[in-house]
Amino acid sequence: MAATEGEQFLKQVSSRNTRGLLRVIILVLIAGAAVSSRLFSVIRFESIIHEFDPWFNFRATKYLVQNGFYNFWDWFDDRTWHPLGRVTGGTLYPGLMVTSGVIYHILRFLTLPVDIRNICVLLAPGFSGLTALATYLLTSEMVTSPSAGLLAAAFMGITPGYISRSVAGSYDNEAIAIFLLVFTFFLWIKAVKNGSMFWGALTALFYGYMVSAWGGYVFITNLLPLHAFVLICMGRYSPRLYVSYTSWYALGTLASMQIPFVGFLPIRSSEHMSALGVFGLLQLVAFVEHVRAQLPSKQFQTLLRALVLIIFVVALGGLVLLTVSGIIAPWTGRFYSLWDTGYAKIHIPIIASVSEHQPTAWPAFFFDLSMMIWLFPAGVYMCFRRLTDEQVFIVIYSVLASYFAGVMVRLMLTLTPIVCVASAMAFSQILDTYLDARSPKADAKENGTSDPAKVAAAVVLPDGLRSTRQPLVGIYSYASKLTVIGASAVYLMLFVLHCTWVTSNAYSSPSVVLASRLPDGSQHIIDDYREAYYWLRQNTPDNAKIMSWWDYGYQIGGMADRPTLVDNNTWNNTHIATVGKAMSSREEVSYPIMRQHEVDYVLVVFGGLLGYSGDDINKFLWMVRIAEGIWPDEVKERNFFTPRGEYRVDDEATPTMKNSLMYKMSYYNYNSLFPAGQAQDRVRGSRLPAQGPELSTIEEAFTSENWIIRIYKVKEPDNFGRDLQSATAFDQGRKKKRATKRKGARVLRVE
Amino acid sequence: MRWLLSLLLLTLFGAVQAISSAGQRLLVVLEEHSEKEKYSVFLGDLESRGYHVTVDSPKSESLSLFKHGERAYDHVILLPGKSKGLGPALTANALLDFMKKEGNILVALSSEHPTPTSVHTVLLELDIHIPSDKGALVVDHFNYDSNSAAEKHDVLLLPFPKQLRPDVKNYFAGEGVIAVPRAVGQTLGNESPLLAPILRAPSTAYSYSPKDEAEIVEEPFAVGGQLTLVSSMQAHNSARLTVVGSAEMLQNAWFAEKATLNGKAVKTANRDFIAKVTAWTFKETGVLKIGKLIHYLNEGISKKMNTSLTVPENNPKIYRIKNDVAFQVEISEYADSHLIPFVPASQDALQLEFSMLSPFHRLNLTPLSQTTNSTIFGVSFTTPDQHGIFNFRINYRRPFLTNIDEKRQVTVRHFAHNEWPRSWQISGAWVWIGGIWVTVAGWIAFVAVWLWSAPTEKSVKKTQ
Repeated sequence: MAATEGEQFLKQVSSRNTRGLLRVIILVLIAGAAVSSRLFSVIRFESIIHEFDPWFNFRATKYLVQNGFYNFWDWFDDRTWHPLGRVTGGTLYPGLMVTSGVIYHILRFLTLPVDIRNICVLLAPGFSGLTALATYLLTSEMVTSPSAGLLAAAFMGITPGYISRSVAGSYDNEAIAIFLLVFTFFLWIKAVKNGSMFWGALTALFYGYMVSAWGGYVFITNLLPLHAFVLICMGRYSPRLYVSYTSWYALGTLASMQIPFVGFLPIRSSEHMSALGVFGLLQLVAFVEHVRAQLPSKQFQTLLRALVLIIFVVALGGLVLLTVSGIIAPWTGRFYSLWDTGYAKIHIPIIASVSEHQPTAWPAFFFDLSMMIWLFPAGVYMCFRRLTDEQVFIVIYSVLASYFAGVMVRLMLTLTPIVCVASAMAFSQILDTYLDARSPKADAKENGTSDPAKVAAAVVLPDGLRSTRQPLVGIYSYASKLTVIGASAVYLMLFVLHCTWVTSNAYSSPSVVLASRLPDGSQHIIDDYREAYYWLRQNTPDNAKIMSWWDYGYQIGGMADRPTLVDNNTWNNTHIATVGKAMSSREEVSYPIMRQHEVDYVLVVFGGLLGYSGDDINKFLWMVRIAEGIWPDEVKERNFFTPRGEYRVDDEATPTMKNSLMYKMSYYNYNSLFPAGQAQDRVRGSRLPAQGPELSTIEEAFTSENWIIRIYKVKEPDNFGRDLQSATAFDQGRKKKRATKRKGARVLRVE
Repeated sequence: MRWLLSLLLLTLFGAVQAISSAGQRLLVVLEEHSEKEKYSVFLGDLESRGYHVTVDSPKSESLSLFKHGERAYDHVILLPGKSKGLGPALTANALLDFMKKEGNILVALSSEHPTPTSVHTVLLELDIHIPSDKGALVVDHFNYDSNSAAEKHDVLLLPFPKQLRPDVKNYFAGEGVIAVPRAVGQTLGNESPLLAPILRAPSTAYSYSPKDEAEIVEEPFAVGGQLTLVSSMQAHNSARLTVVGSAEMLQNAWFAEKATLNGKAVKTANRDFIAKVTAWTFKETGVLKIGKLIHYLNEGISKKMNTSLTVPENNPKIYRIKNDVAFQVEISEYADSHLIPFVPASQDALQLEFSMLSPFHRLNLTPLSQTTNSTIFGVSFTTPDQHGIFNFRINYRRPFLTNIDEKRQVTVRHFAHNEWPRSWQISGAWVWIGGIWVTVAGWIAFVAVWLWSAPTEKSVKKTQ
């Protein structure tokens, strides 16, 4: 990196030390701004891990720090997916945890003992500073203007599209992955430009790091081959491309196969086949180039045609054969859903149920990228003007990423870097043009006369036209320059305002702690989640198994430290469907399932009292759908809708709905908060039945302050062998009727 | 404090013949205090076996099964009285709660007295049915006592019960004849595995109501072996309830009487039988006690179990798939005041399950050794090729024996990265390993040739 910066500096002829120093200072300031704008949540709430997945990453990091690397590598986690357990060491991307672990140990080595939680919380902001730097480097490779890189760095530092996944506490894979993504691209561009094996190997190294950090590495795996492929198609094959690509592919594939979770995927799964294909193609192209130099062109043509045909047939046949025979894994569902947005909804409810897998709504682009969304096409257009190898990359990247960002919300993240780069290029073009205070001299006659068109025009056109009167075409007046510069400055400032506003309002909520405003404007913290998780932690045995919908699995594991049945690592659809079935069935059906899985407590999220819409009743249909996918005869989505097709929880709710465990757990005893018959669900906006549900196989154990979390204890089987329904009925004073007259044949007892 | 007290009691009554494993506090509920005399031998026997007998009337205000939320007595005997209500202290819920706290109950019924409502409700909840007609009793025209019931045939003379099933121990065997006068027959529900008959009526017996069905019995309540005269119920927590169909069996009048069965003079052995029934009900017999459960990695050396209570079990928490694991468990049986080694019935076996959702192994445990008061059962096996959270589970439920349901959770992990065989240990991999080294050697040779060959040579260049 130092070398590249030095190179940049050397290009500047005058006072390069001053410029270099200035640039370093600016970059440091940008990094500072990037870090500080991500600290809203720490200042507003506290140093806390956010959301869901980060809780697992945090827990895994703690395990790594406590038990060392090899134990982490071989970690079998017996506190999730009870009773299956999870081979965690082999099913995660360890890059994030290892990075924090290394930072932790370095700081300890420097006698700066920092709590691992604080490292985890602040890792994402820290890396966002590095991302800004990497964006600067990448952009500087694209254009000669030095200001574009700085602008891109600044954009990258504060754009909401990136901040959404990298605020303090958002300790997720993306926190470091975006930096690695951008930096790998920078190294790739460098390698292609120089045709250097060294840069190619560095690309492979960072690619390996990226693979260890995030599943989104597949984006690089496909983008680099695509870039190479397009270059070949454009007739731009060169030994530089050959050297850089082959060294990246060979080393990078080996590096990626070292991650247990990836394993043999790079040579077996379809997603990785393009990289392999382009690798083969490059060999062929290189061979053909070599032959072309040796043969007369006529023979060469024939040879080429035959060669292309044979190779195409053999390669395609081989691919089909391997796919059919199962050696190459077929496309995964997640992959299909990238192309057909409706696919997941029909075939894989578990993927569709994740909100970040939904297609992006168009305002989200403006929300996340603000003014860059209209600068971005301009920047891409500018790449077409001087279509160098690296600018081809920008074009491909922007086309692909735009498409993917439109398909899945979370892929907005991969689009953001290229948007920053492209719009910085466009913006710096504007600034470079208009900030240049010098006006060209009027006697620059050569320009006018050397252009034959202008000469011709001058003959034909009358003198009245301004273009003929003034030899130089362009905007040189200070007024217009000032206008444009002023407008740009306003845009930039608005951009900063927008970014700050979005960060502060939309992306800085930990979602573990909810904030609301009281009527007098003061902030009110709703801390039900932590209240409930700490209740579990302090009042239940260490190995009490908690059943909840999978959304809360990581949080229960992280905050309550109790084993869970399912969690956010949705690797086992059947197990999730089992939980879905237990939640959506009658108590008589659910109870044996819960006993079989040794469930001690059931946790539900209920927002009816507070109007918290992300609760389990609203997610309930996904549980039903996922369960229906496995047991279509026992769970039917249709039965949860009224005959008119409405999803209701009030008096008109269907019997299936009213008898489902989830409904009962949500509304159990809810009536008691209201005057008789007045119970109101504030999320669904409906009045509940006067008679609340009754429970017999589970009993209420805990309800949080605002009723957001409700925890139920699963009862032991009845001591006297009765079923729990009749036992509960007996305890409530309803005695069994004496069978006065037997009907039918007498049932004899046999020993 | 409680153990101190029990220790004190233990030393005090050490000399006494039999002590229940579940405590000595016995409540006898008797409505008419005057009737106490009728049961004097029975109560005397109980006292001599170490019980602190409290006789109280259901009408007494101070009567309560609980004190400060805990049981006030360990065992209760409900003797029949005249009234149908048993008062607020002995409601059906109270009786069931008493059993939920592991109290034992012996209910004596009588055809001459009405069955209290609460008792009736409790029996119904436990799936034990008695005739609803008042005064219904069991008669047998073949096995009756011709001395006392020459006409009515309602005093049955029966031998001691035999083994219920080949795999169940018999705790009620004895010599002689049991007299069952004017019994209320019970039938047991077919659903509940918790019920077991102690004394069944002979095949010629039937139940009828002398009032309604004096002339002809069209649809008897139950007949033959379906009719039980003494039945037992053992809850999941091993609380026991015994229903004695005839309270007269407990009275002095029938403890050792002369009777005539089919013209032969016999002597009733009720005292012996009732002693066995009460001993079982109040947990003097048929009580299993599980000691230590240990499991360890079987590395060829069999470990000897340290049965001392001061040494904790200290089992490993985690195994690997395909590990050889040994399992041992120590089980004793409480028999008449002390623990003896438990030996299952001849056709029965104690089993160990190694289960995750469903059992992956279900193995018979074999007795390895015996100590003075326990048997050590054990088995060795290989963990299945499936990682997960497993349970070593012993679920042993047999009639007349207290339930054992013990489990120890253990994690079975996958192979760690360094536990696989190395590549050269797999003969199938030699081809590939050879391929790698040939390639390496070939490349080095190529480089050597390249470097040391003359630059004008074109043929070498082409090979690249």
